[in-house]
Amino acid sequence: MDFSFTEDQLTFKKSAIEFAERVLNKGVKERERKSEFNQDGWEKCAEFGIHGLSMPEEYGGLGLDILTCVLTMEGLGYGCRDSGLLFAINSHIWTCESPILKFGTDYQKEKYLPGLCKGSLKGGHAMTEPDSGSDAFSMKCKAEKKGDRYIINGAKMFITNAPIADILLVFAVTDSKKGFAGISAFIVEKGFQGFSVGKPLDMMGLKTSPIGEVILQDCEVPEENMLGKEGAGAAIFNSEMEWERSCLFATHVGAMEKDIEECIRYVNDRRQFGKPIGKYQAISHKISDMRVRFELSRLVLYKVAWLKAQGKRAPMESAIAKLFVSESYVENCMEALQIHGAYGYSTEMDLEKNLRDSIAGKIYSGSSEIQRNIIASLLGL
Amino acid sequence: MTISENIEKVLLTEIAVGLEKKSLDPDEDLLEQSIIDSLGLMKLIDFMEKTFGIKILDEQIVPENFQSLNSMVKLVEQQMQNNS
Repeated sequence: MDFSFTEDQLTFKKSAIEFAERVLNKGVKERERKSEFNQDGWEKCAEFGIHGLSMPEEYGGLGLDILTCVLTMEGLGYGCRDSGLLFAINSHIWTCESPILKFGTDYQKEKYLPGLCKGSLKGGHAMTEPDSGSDAFSMKCKAEKKGDRYIINGAKMFITNAPIADILLVFAVTDSKKGFAGISAFIVEKGFQGFSVGKPLDMMGLKTSPIGEVILQDCEVPEENMLGKEGAGAAIFNSEMEWERSCLFATHVGAMEKDIEECIRYVNDRRQFGKPIGKYQAISHKISDMRVRFELSRLVLYKVAWLKAQGKRAPMESAIAKLFVSESYVENCMEALQIHGAYGYSTEMDLEKNLRDSIAGKIYSGSSEIQRNIIASLLGL
Repeated sequence: MTISENIEKVLLTEIAVGLEKKSLDPDEDLLEQSIIDSLGLMKLIDFMEKTFGIKILDEQIVPENFQSLNSMVKLVEQQMQNNS
């Protein structure tokens, strides 16, 4: 078993950290207060190559392997304090760009991938509906074939990037008799007739990531914009979730490492009752536990990335990774805040923001409960 | 056990547990009857890949390949042939 990374992989991670610290953190507090998307950061990330990390060079990507992508995301999570921006970029990559590469026709790839890699197009996917969240495949949104196009009707809720997206991968029922196997995916452009987006939703955290409602009212989608075959929606969705659960959560691992370093610095400086608070076991044990959660999160994530790099399916492993990393991140954020006491609770520091942001990780990409259902089901329970 | 018997067994004992069926008609539509749900499909694919030593591509996870026992057998046979 080889746990080492190549020199190139480590260099790329280091440059991602340096880039994030230098470029992405300017004005983050102000944007957070105004719930404002970092357009400049988005463009700078695209120039750096983040949007096309794993995309082939022919479409303007860097063609990097999955382990390097994971390390780069980890680096961004470590260096960037704008979690909303990272969330928006990851949604763009794993729920739109990546499925188009995997399931798209040559026409679709040539039409959309160069813009998505350059960042001139923003993408996302629209799965969740007002009445279907965890039970995603019970959706009501319908697509009916009429001549050479599909007419989509329905509403989508809590759609990441909806207010800023140029294209969304919309999931809709094409055959209501077949349950999950009757769902298909469509690449819908914001300019298509019958497509509209509600105002951005005000969420507890990830304030700089625009999230909104999508309304499809007799929305006309040309048949060549169906992604994959009719009825392939569930497979496309499951595939993109496996990737997202592997790569998006690498940003949490990076953030955990940064938080631990800051906690160590703080407990060595902060003195109470005549000595640094890090000398009290009540504090040092908290930090030890934070480190254990970080170390195990990193290992489980690397294992999934390694499996994906081998071209293997990893439904169990990606569910375990998503569950463990997201819950560990919340626990670490709670402990970091507690260690810093009133300073941690203050909005002057990032700790309360990190905690609010971290909680979203237990909900999106399939809630913790759904990950446990997947694990149990694969165990034959 | 044949490929068909293997898949039928896992369908009846692990995926459609509450169904109380003793056997499946090789051509009956398992999707329309909701015998397979999305979690069941995940489990079924895992079983097929491990038991028959094949790789099922994401692009092959479409209704026509999982509609019935016969369509699944056809998919397995095709992938086994591709392996050899």
